[in-house]
Amino acid sequence: MTDTLRGAAMPAARPSRIDSDRVAGLVLAAAVALPLLLFVLLPVASILKLSFVTPTGLGFGNYIRYFSGPKFATVLSNSLVVTAVATAITIILAYGFAYAMQRTAMRGKRLFGLIALLPLFAPSLVQALGILFLLGRNGVINRNFGLGIDIYGFWGIVIADVLYSFPHAYLILAAALAVADARLYESAEMLGAGAWRQFRTVTMPATKYGVISASFVVFTIVITDFGNPMVIGADFNVLATEIYNQVSGQANFGMGAVVGVVLLVPAALAVIVEKWVSRHSYAVISERSAPLVPRPNPLVDRLAMLYAALVSLAIATIVGVVVVASFVTLWPYNMHLSLRHYRFEVQNGIEPLWTSILVSLAAALIGMVVTVIGACVVRQLSPRIGRPLYFLSVLPAAIPGMVLGLGYIFAFNNPANPLHVIYGSLLILAICNVYHYHAQGFLIATTSVKQIARTFDEASTVLGAGLLHTLFKVTLPIIWPSIVSIGVFFFVRSMVTLSAVIFLITPSTQLAAVSVLMLDESGNQNQAAAFSACIMAVVCLSLGAVQLLLRYTGGKGSVLR
Amino acid sequence: MFLSLRGIVKRFGAVTALDGVSLDVAEGEFVCFLGPSGCGKTTLLRSIAGLELPEAGSILLGGEELARTPARLRNFGVVFQSYSLFPNMTVARNLAYGLECRGWKRSEIEERVARMLSLVRLDNQAEKYPHQLSGGQQQRIALARALAPRPRMLLLDEPLSALDAKVRDELRGEIRDLQRALGVTTIMVTHDQDEAMEIADRIVLMNDGRIEQVGSAADLYERPASRFVAAFVGRMNVLPLAGGAFAGVSFSGMAAQEVVGIRPEHVELCTAEHADAIAGRVEKSVFLGSVTRVTLAVGGGRMVIELRGRVADLAPGSPLAVRLPPDALHRLSGGPH
Repeated sequence: MTDTLRGAAMPAARPSRIDSDRVAGLVLAAAVALPLLLFVLLPVASILKLSFVTPTGLGFGNYIRYFSGPKFATVLSNSLVVTAVATAITIILAYGFAYAMQRTAMRGKRLFGLIALLPLFAPSLVQALGILFLLGRNGVINRNFGLGIDIYGFWGIVIADVLYSFPHAYLILAAALAVADARLYESAEMLGAGAWRQFRTVTMPATKYGVISASFVVFTIVITDFGNPMVIGADFNVLATEIYNQVSGQANFGMGAVVGVVLLVPAALAVIVEKWVSRHSYAVISERSAPLVPRPNPLVDRLAMLYAALVSLAIATIVGVVVVASFVTLWPYNMHLSLRHYRFEVQNGIEPLWTSILVSLAAALIGMVVTVIGACVVRQLSPRIGRPLYFLSVLPAAIPGMVLGLGYIFAFNNPANPLHVIYGSLLILAICNVYHYHAQGFLIATTSVKQIARTFDEASTVLGAGLLHTLFKVTLPIIWPSIVSIGVFFFVRSMVTLSAVIFLITPSTQLAAVSVLMLDESGNQNQAAAFSACIMAVVCLSLGAVQLLLRYTGGKGSVLR
Repeated sequence: MFLSLRGIVKRFGAVTALDGVSLDVAEGEFVCFLGPSGCGKTTLLRSIAGLELPEAGSILLGGEELARTPARLRNFGVVFQSYSLFPNMTVARNLAYGLECRGWKRSEIEERVARMLSLVRLDNQAEKYPHQLSGGQQQRIALARALAPRPRMLLLDEPLSALDAKVRDELRGEIRDLQRALGVTTIMVTHDQDEAMEIADRIVLMNDGRIEQVGSAADLYERPASRFVAAFVGRMNVLPLAGGAFAGVSFSGMAAQEVVGIRPEHVELCTAEHADAIAGRVEKSVFLGSVTRVTLAVGGGRMVIELRGRVADLAPGSPLAVRLPPDALHRLSGGPH
């Protein structure tokens, strides 16, 4: 061994008082915290402040006036009852569906699984639109059979929101039912437990937290939903539509802020409870668990398939009828095929679709950068700085889109704010979408960053790499499939969302999903359907393209998460 | 002294992982940190590497305080238990990583990578990805990667424990040879006493965040400083003494001792008439190949003895007299174990 491998101090190994990594860490933490403060906390603070501004100075005037008015009790109870009923129905339907998918050997799982996710890829008022094409005053059923079905109002909103929130509940419950310890079922079987008792004593306890978690997630989605109640609610007002009426209808910003705060409370509570519950859930699966493989059982499998097929049929029909309606001359009177609704002979024409794509691409790009850097930085920081930053990052989950959008008006439509320049631009739409969905994107990023063994960081450090070197050479290359899916997530959400951006669009920055609402409001249901179909086509094409890209480059990630 | 640890303290919340540890390591030495899980051995290694920051104490390398030097500037090579090769890089890129961090020239890096690959005899694997290698090959690459930048010390954190027995034995020899050839000061953490005894110049036996004893394998086995050491390294019968006597046989110079220890293989058989004979009764006898291990009921307790080869006629219940050679007795201190 002629080569002297004996250690010599590396030239750069001078101990320094100011460690560049510490500085880099603090700078990064500030870089992550600042936009969150600006684009999440400031708007919410503005809305809180404005709710206390009255003609006679600061005070509870707005609240007193609103709470003592006749509408308050009705709107609040409307919102709570609709949400409770829709949540209960969604959870029961989705549990059955997830059970059929995960615990039976039925056929057609791939197809059913795809259909269940369909509502995620459509503008958030498509369900209401589809229901009206079927059951509305000018729906195909009332017209052809002369039935006097009145779907507008309570039940219309419930059905639309069940279909709208179904995929969210299904994904959580499917994850809860996906893992199970076969030994527990074998023990129960050997002890003489029947199928029902096994379900009650083994399955239910193991999925209890999934059910609770899904319930609160669905609750939040339904109570904050704006598009469906707007389209199908008629004069059945809920909190989300009430904010819009106050602000857009009556230009009553103070009142809008008050209703926003009223909506913020239950939505935020639901998110807090959900986080608290999922933190207290325990690992059901230990390392030695034997995975449960569903065994074929002809009767059960057939029943499960029948059930899954019915649910899938309902979801696909509502979305499908919108697509079909967009291709006929005049639904439901003239069912001849026609492309006339795709000529978009309205103000701006097809322009809003391109605007939407542009905004969504920008949101995808910004969202990827912001959430991935955020997740990496939070992991590196000491808990003292990391925990508040984490809280700030997931806070948007508790803020309804209507409230965030309204908050953006208050915060940025103010010449005193240096960021006033972005008000009315496409950039503020992209930013609003990023921070509206920041929590979910951040959590996906955190999960994938966590999956990287700590030893990679440590191995990189002891080999002499700094924080940034490790980030760009090791961390990001490993998690890039996840980064891509985060981008897809932001893109898709931005394409279909309505609630936050409805307050921020201008005639020159009209978005496709808002166009759908406007067209529906003005009685052009068939054109609204065509616009919806375009949005869905863009979303599906982009999903397919990214899936191909991932497969081609050998990434294991899937965009359908 | 090359590496000096002085009063290192490290706490994790309410748990004290290191409770004032002091230790000296000479240049070129191979030291093993040995102990049960949770004894603080890995925390101590990570503190030296700079991956943990101790609350108190100092770490001196060649007389220079390391506390203010972050891990990435300490120039130590570290091999982790497993899964530390970057999965997105080829073997060659993994080896080059530390050199790139140090700003080596491209030609130097290429030369160095080739040299390290031949050192661990994996020359033809340069363009493979970690997941295409076996566990043993991955750890050899990890070792080469740690050594490539000419580290001042090599730190190994249970590098063999994720491997199966045969590969472990091979790699153990390889690490030892490489360390001898390069003369790099090395610390290895292990919970396997055979591994420590085979590979280390000196063993640091730890328990509960403290060092129990430092010494060669022979020191620890033949002169255990405490009951813990005696029980952890090999087997030891611990016998209670009453006034310097056990089962009616008294031992000179042991009057002050409360307990005394003797290794199973040092207990001798004798006739019942022998002056020092202790009468026992066979409880169990197991033939283990090179030895027969016998459990005796003796003096109100139990004693395990090991007899060379196969010993027949030791049916449970049969009487057996033994004697304890005075020079094989250990004075033991420390709490009951």
